[in-house]
Amino acid sequence: MKKTFIAALVAASTLTVPALAEYPDKPIRIVVGYSAGGGTDVMARAVAQFFEKALGNGASVVVKNMPGAGGQIGFTEVASADPDGYTLGTFNLPAALALTYDRKADYDASSFTYLANFVKDPNTVVVSKESGFETLEQLVEAAKAQPGSVTMGLSALGGNDHFSANMIADATGVEFTLVPFKGASMARTALMGQHVAAGTMTLSQTVSFQDELRVLAVLSDERSTFRPDVPTAKELGYDVQMSSLRGIVAPAGLPAEIEEKLRKALIDVNAMEDFQSMMAKQGNPISFIAGEEFEATAKQQDGVARSIWEKTPWK
Amino acid sequence: MYSDLIQSLPNVIAWANIAALVIGVLAGIVVGAMPGLSATMAISVLVPFTFGLEPLVALGLMAGIYNGAMYGGAIPAVLLRIPGTPAAVATTFDGYPMAQQGKGGYALQVAVVSSAFGGMASAIALMLLAPPLSRVTLLFGPAEVFWVAVFGLCSIIFLLGGNVTKGLISACFGVFVSVVGSDPIFGNDRYTFGQLELLDGIHIVILLVGLYALPPVIDLLESPLKTENSAGDRLGTEPIWRTFPQMLRFWKTWIRSALIGIWIGILPGAGGSMAAFMSYNEARRSSKTPETWGNGEPEGVAASETANNADTAAALIPALTLGIPGTAVAAIMLGGLLIHGLQPGPMLFRNNPDIVFGFMWQFLFGAILLVFLGGSLATNSFAKLLKLPRPLLGSVIIILMLIGVYSIHGRMFDVYLMLGFGAIGYVMDKLRFPLPPVVLGLILGGFAEENLRLALRIGRGNWMVLFQNVTSLILVALTVAVVVGPMVKHRLIDKKKAESKG
Repeated sequence: MKKTFIAALVAASTLTVPALAEYPDKPIRIVVGYSAGGGTDVMARAVAQFFEKALGNGASVVVKNMPGAGGQIGFTEVASADPDGYTLGTFNLPAALALTYDRKADYDASSFTYLANFVKDPNTVVVSKESGFETLEQLVEAAKAQPGSVTMGLSALGGNDHFSANMIADATGVEFTLVPFKGASMARTALMGQHVAAGTMTLSQTVSFQDELRVLAVLSDERSTFRPDVPTAKELGYDVQMSSLRGIVAPAGLPAEIEEKLRKALIDVNAMEDFQSMMAKQGNPISFIAGEEFEATAKQQDGVARSIWEKTPWK
Repeated sequence: MYSDLIQSLPNVIAWANIAALVIGVLAGIVVGAMPGLSATMAISVLVPFTFGLEPLVALGLMAGIYNGAMYGGAIPAVLLRIPGTPAAVATTFDGYPMAQQGKGGYALQVAVVSSAFGGMASAIALMLLAPPLSRVTLLFGPAEVFWVAVFGLCSIIFLLGGNVTKGLISACFGVFVSVVGSDPIFGNDRYTFGQLELLDGIHIVILLVGLYALPPVIDLLESPLKTENSAGDRLGTEPIWRTFPQMLRFWKTWIRSALIGIWIGILPGAGGSMAAFMSYNEARRSSKTPETWGNGEPEGVAASETANNADTAAALIPALTLGIPGTAVAAIMLGGLLIHGLQPGPMLFRNNPDIVFGFMWQFLFGAILLVFLGGSLATNSFAKLLKLPRPLLGSVIIILMLIGVYSIHGRMFDVYLMLGFGAIGYVMDKLRFPLPPVVLGLILGGFAEENLRLALRIGRGNWMVLFQNVTSLILVALTVAVVVGPMVKHRLIDKKKAESKG
């Protein structure tokens, strides 16, 4: 707080000096499109804390929550902010881009400067321990025997849970009945009460429920360090990959030198041991990618969302 | 199952939590004693401010206010024959005659001891019933939750008393508000007029503050209350340790009223005022001297006050275990839990046992504190408090409301929305439309729609999925009973009347 105050004072007293020369000369805000305390907010606060150290020079980074409309209010705020390096935002894939298809949005994949992605939480195919399904193959067989009889609980339509279910159905050639709950925890509760047969929630949602839930497959290219005992879908013969990604973006059109400085600082953040251990403690699986690689991932996710929307629009 | 209960105890005794509870109880007594201000209003104004607090501190404040207000309502009920809260109406029947006979002090002592007893019984009921229930609720799938919501809506319309048509209109308004925003399955916009702020629907706290806080504040400013005739100057107070032994003869009434209060609390829809009326009537019916009732019978005060406090913690049983609040206060408390990222329902007991069980302890301690805080020392001074300048009070509350609502999402849009609901609430109040059905219509309407559609999706469009198991059928039967029961009763009463005339 005191740091912010001093930074503000310094900024006020040196108004005549060109801002670019000593970026950042005022607090940088990270806009989070979700409420405080949620997964994305927790990540943003961890990043903000180490970001200040990485930027040095008494830089100040504040997190601002702008929850609402499934994150859209926050994403729009970032996309339409001045690209001066003082407004950054958290970015959730595929959700942020998926919602540009199912409703009117004032931004698209090209509205952002992609700085770095931190978290990659892979989706799974998961059932209740009491369901009798031991393997993915058994679940697929049951769905084949009676098309539509296997219900699949999702956290919502138009997100990674939904896309996972769609992609699994495509890869296996069977039909599931999709049941979109209001959020991941509702979907999980219904799965535990066996009101739905299976779910596609992310791996981190399942870790503290190992006594009740059986993860049949994880939808990523390699096994997770959190659950090395669970096979990937790829190993089981279905090349399906989907996860929930959380990273940091800025508005498009960011000056190159500022972009460079921010990206370098974020790479430094990722290299800090304290940061890594904090993220591990929060149960956030890290998969760090920066710059062009992040942008390519975003474009690829955008393509997945578009093709699913075109083939099976969900509203 | 109950080991978590014991383990959470040390946490609750932390000084910040105790301090929150003490402040809550005191504030509750003050709010309850102010005619027009209710526990619902106080807690809804408070909720947005608790965001920065530790969850247990925030919940302690709420538990304290709830308990305090239920007793506080008795103070003006006894001294001025003005019930401080709707739940204290039955307290005026015998409390005021006692005050006229110069026994106002004794009446308040009976009220505080009975309130504390009711509150403790209610807290213990919550402690014993909620944990096992939370295990069963995993069995409640979308179909069952749909029926619980329908049952709740029907009971609030038909059991609230008063005009059923007006109750129905109020509930429909609430259900309509629940429709605003993106639909729960596909996310289609409904009544949002392109406003992103409306896409998530209308936050319950915004509606509650508007409906429950603004109309009484306007009332407060409109009609200065005359308090000159207060009987408070001649309370005739004896120390409570001397009067307490005289009260022990009420033990039967205490137990009966506590059970009635707990039962009414668990039922969705009905609230403290209904509990108080029912227990007053039951107590009078089983009294050996029914003719003294209404003329200053202390047992009448005991009956009413035990029951309205016994309703408090019990109302949270369905709220905490199923996530379905039965009363407006329980609904705001759920809002308070959600603000702290605590999702009510079966997972709450598993993921945050320290908080949910700590909350239960706070209800118990709050009830005990009531005796000390509301008892001997404060009663006289609280009577004087009613003379506080009302315009001052009103403006303070309005400022708190504006800041609080703004702070939920940090946007003015919500403040305008709240003021709009305030205007609607004011008109409804004047036209005597009941407010609780609006709140429960918003919450339960949303639940009903979402779960009906989920159930139909699971059943692939087959409506029989709603009647597939015993739990659903029991809930259907209860719903039918709530709707048809009062009609049949009226019919029978009319018939009897006709017969006795003929």
